[in-house]
Amino acid sequence: MGAMNPYQPVTAKITKIIDETPTIKTFILEPKPLGFEAGQFMELTVFGVGEAPFTPSSSPYDKEKMEFTIMKVGRVTKALFELKEGASIGVRGPYGRPYPLNKFKNREVLIVGGGVGFAPLRSLFLALLHDAREYKRICVRYGARTPHDHVYKRYIDEWNAHEKVDILRSSDMGDPSWKERVGVVTVLLDEIPVDVKESPAVVCGPPIMMKFTTQKLLEAGFPGSNIYLSMESNMSCGLGMCNHCRIGELYSCKDGPVLTWDQIKHVEEPFV
Amino acid sequence: MFLAKLCGFFSEATKGMSELYFLPAQKLESLLARMIEDNLIYIPVVEQERAHFKRFRPGESFEWALDRIRPVEPLKGFFMKFKEVVAKPGGSLEKKSSRSVILGPKACDLRAMEVYDKVFLAGEFVDPFYKERRENTILISVDCPQPEPTCFCNLVGIQPHPLKGFDLNLTPMNSGFLAETGSEKGAELVRHARILFQPPSPEQIKERDTQRAQAVKTVEATNPKALEDNLSRKVLDADMEFWERESTTCVECCACLHICPTCYCFLLYDQKDDGGSERVRVWDACYYAAYARVGGGANPRADFSRRFRNRFLCKYSYFPGYHGFFACSGCGRCISGCTAKIDIREVLWGL
Repeated sequence: MGAMNPYQPVTAKITKIIDETPTIKTFILEPKPLGFEAGQFMELTVFGVGEAPFTPSSSPYDKEKMEFTIMKVGRVTKALFELKEGASIGVRGPYGRPYPLNKFKNREVLIVGGGVGFAPLRSLFLALLHDAREYKRICVRYGARTPHDHVYKRYIDEWNAHEKVDILRSSDMGDPSWKERVGVVTVLLDEIPVDVKESPAVVCGPPIMMKFTTQKLLEAGFPGSNIYLSMESNMSCGLGMCNHCRIGELYSCKDGPVLTWDQIKHVEEPFV
Repeated sequence: MFLAKLCGFFSEATKGMSELYFLPAQKLESLLARMIEDNLIYIPVVEQERAHFKRFRPGESFEWALDRIRPVEPLKGFFMKFKEVVAKPGGSLEKKSSRSVILGPKACDLRAMEVYDKVFLAGEFVDPFYKERRENTILISVDCPQPEPTCFCNLVGIQPHPLKGFDLNLTPMNSGFLAETGSEKGAELVRHARILFQPPSPEQIKERDTQRAQAVKTVEATNPKALEDNLSRKVLDADMEFWERESTTCVECCACLHICPTCYCFLLYDQKDDGGSERVRVWDACYYAAYARVGGGANPRADFSRRFRNRFLCKYSYFPGYHGFFACSGCGRCISGCTAKIDIREVLWGL
């Protein structure tokens, strides 16, 4: 077989597994198996079980390792959760279009995350932070169901200390330990901290959260071309061939996985 | 004058592009026999009154189906197996390939290969298995002399005789075939078996042209009503009531999609094999309920009418939007194969 086989993954080693929440873990792969840009995704294989697409949550500039923050929802993720540190998995990619960071330059960037949707946004956030002088401000609005469902709790204070960073968090349901906002993540958007006409808003979370967040951003005056949405769809090959991940005429794998509201607004019920 | 032109044509034989020859009827099997040592050869034969592709083995008796419409089987299966191992996650995959000659594809079959070529060769990623098989296969197409009532190639921008996409094309006529080369592979094939071919006579060329015009007339008479110029838009704009109505009788067997020569959807799944794992690619079809379902269980096309509509969107709107032609060859296999007797033309005309 002379030509490269795009179905064949490379083998990578899980060196560390971090429990983020009862249903979310971060898997650290070392050495870094493949390069990527923020927003691009990989197909991870649990040998003998199958593969599924995930966007790395680590910085694309990290040369040593690659991280994935993953929620247990289906067959492949269940098998992933049974793996121990030291296990090998398959990785192929990167696929899809990265965030257009050149368009974000000299702008205030609004990042809105829900639940495990913070995973790909962390990669973007770290990429922005890496070149922080290029951006006016980085505002993160993040919500999860309960305080226990928040990911990356250990990093928040450090990130927030950066002069260009402003992070606010909410929990749909609070508890006595929770000192931040209570309510779904859109309550954090009652006041928009950025220039709505110019700023990109980058959103990732469960479909219902994406739907209401998009609505709120549009009402606030963001143009649809500046609202970047991580679209979920059934995906198989990741190569733009198998046709599974179609969202209207677009492919989530090769045109996305991040699409702007303007690209998908003609699709009926894009958030399923 | 005409003959002089033809001679000029022949002197250019090494160039590989369109050259005409006459192949006497009794020489066709000799031509195949010359290639059998290095190739798997498939030919169209009549079985249960229809054309089917079958391995050619000299000495075995069979009934040629060269003057029939396209074979029951679409060409895609030769290049993308219904099911095959495409990777060995955690290991490495060794694959042997063989050379083939496929005799008998029609113009519609060649159009379907154009669709496949766009998907598997022309994108950002290339399918190495498809590519290798395409390169290792010689396509000898054959004119469709008598289109049947299920044929509608004229509605999708082609006609019953191939104009491109073949290595060699044969027009069956009284005493043999008018052969036209369409590629360097085809020209080389003729060079190696030059002794079997003769210069065509002007009468033979005229016979071909008359026959082709007749076939065009036949298929146009079957499908007198052209599809709308803005079909892609009409498919997009049709409301859900239309799709609900059109899909009522469908039994969701997916025969139309699997038999369709342009449908190319597939699914990858992994399974354990001896001490390791293998990745299998299998044909898929967008009518299956789980086709678009995501990890958490949500499904953007949970209603069948939406899945039914998706087939039309894909073929007549999305694909032409990218590539400029329909992902439909007008072969009519979906009509012949439909348990519920749904005629795709009726749906398109009804838009």
